[in-house]
Amino acid sequence: MSAPPLLHLQQLDASYGPIQVLFSVQLEVQPGEIVALIGPNGAGKSTVIKSIIGLVRVLRGQIRLAGREITGMATHHAPLHGIGYVPQGRILFARMTVRENLEMGAFLQQDPRERRRLVEEVLDQFPQLAARAQVLAGHLSGGEQQMLAIGRSLMMRPKLLMLDEPSLGLSPKYVDQIFAQLLVLRDQGHTLLMVEQNAARALEIADRGYVLELGRNRFADRASALLENEAVRRLYLGGV
Amino acid sequence: MRYSDLGIGALLLFFSLLAPGFLNNYQLSFLLQVLMMVTLAQSWNLISGMTGYISFGHGVFFGVGAYTGALLLMGGAFWWVAILSAALLAAALALPLGLLTLRLRGPYFAIAMLGLNEVGRILANLWVDLTGGGDGIALSPLLSPVLATNYFSMLALAVLATLGMGWILRSRFGLELRAIREDEEAAEMLGIDTIRNKLIAFTASALLPGAAGAIYAFYTSFIDPSSVFLPALNVQMIVVVLLGGRGTLWGPVLGAVLLMSVQELTWAEFPALHLALLGLLMILLVLYLPDGLLGAWKRIGSRYG
Repeated sequence: MSAPPLLHLQQLDASYGPIQVLFSVQLEVQPGEIVALIGPNGAGKSTVIKSIIGLVRVLRGQIRLAGREITGMATHHAPLHGIGYVPQGRILFARMTVRENLEMGAFLQQDPRERRRLVEEVLDQFPQLAARAQVLAGHLSGGEQQMLAIGRSLMMRPKLLMLDEPSLGLSPKYVDQIFAQLLVLRDQGHTLLMVEQNAARALEIADRGYVLELGRNRFADRASALLENEAVRRLYLGGV
Repeated sequence: MRYSDLGIGALLLFFSLLAPGFLNNYQLSFLLQVLMMVTLAQSWNLISGMTGYISFGHGVFFGVGAYTGALLLMGGAFWWVAILSAALLAAALALPLGLLTLRLRGPYFAIAMLGLNEVGRILANLWVDLTGGGDGIALSPLLSPVLATNYFSMLALAVLATLGMGWILRSRFGLELRAIREDEEAAEMLGIDTIRNKLIAFTASALLPGAAGAIYAFYTSFIDPSSVFLPALNVQMIVVVLLGGRGTLWGPVLGAVLLMSVQELTWAEFPALHLALLGLLMILLVLYLPDGLLGAWKRIGSRYG
């Protein structure tokens, strides 16, 4: 592989105020793959994503996107760099409709015709949302809200889509739907980095996985290999 | 602005321009105070109604403006220079304040503003050399502009405030502010520079109370710390906006007319009770009419319309 990875974290240290959370974390995401970041509570999984988009302070190390350094960028520049982010808890504009939420997703797109086109494109991709385009986001079910959050993050055609706990608080039926949707996105050529508590499910759809423990890299391998790995199974997958 | 908004505005402006011709001094004074409340409420509406960052001490800019205007007028400045300077000084104070408090989310801004009004009052009391302390400043009638001039200045401010609000509500800037109110984190992720937007809104929102304070000082010819750093004034502008409808164009205007009228009628009879009534009104509004009268009107309209 000669081209640089789409996302490359090198020796990343990050902290919340005085408390250091990440220690020399390494991570790579290649174009077109799904990478799952798993590990127990408090391992710093979400912190990795948050430090990429500037919500957490990076102490040392480098973050590169397609070879270009973006360490410590301002959060509102993330869409300009081509990073889409679906935060934990699906932060939506609850008092706006589904369509309006999608429009807000293309906030930086100045041309209203282009913005409408993008909305239609995303609605085509999520028929469930299309049926409820005029409904207030706050009135959607949890699964639909997650769909909308993903749809909104796709509005700026991101090069990299980052998802923080996409299955959190969803019924099993919706978890299936969301994960199926993520696979569809990958097959369309999207690149995904996902933090997931539900490690087994995440590794089933991922190409590669990283296991984090107490803010440090513990394992990194192809997802199928991690699923087979005795130690990973015992410690993180609740397996036997 | 929509045509209906322009129509309402033109009608109100027409009446206000002719008012000095047929109102007596008492009535004109009352109207001046209504216009002052419209100005203050629109400025509060800009920062708190639009972004959701609640300012409990916007009156501090009014107080700073009142002292700046009075002192400059005594120093020999033209009255309009004094008004402009008051506005600019208030904004110049808001900028560093916003830099300190608006970078943080949550209640910090509200708490800082709550304290700031008191700091202003105490400073005005203690800085005797400049402000005359508790004795206040009496402006000679020879220096102050006449009532009609003050009236028209205040009218100009209220019109400016409302036009500015109308423009902001339709602009991309207004959309960004409302996105911050609905969910700041989401707004940030979608590419909105939330800190810059909050700072601009806050600094701009200090201009008008500054100018209004100066005109108020000319109008009453006497100011002291407790009359211009008045805690009740902070409460009044909040109640006016909540009553009319926050984040709307005409809410602050409607709220100002209603509240000032009710106050004028009850003030003389129950001077002590009147503050308690304001507090009660605020609680009732938050609980039962969170979108104010205009919001309720719209809801009823969409149900039966």
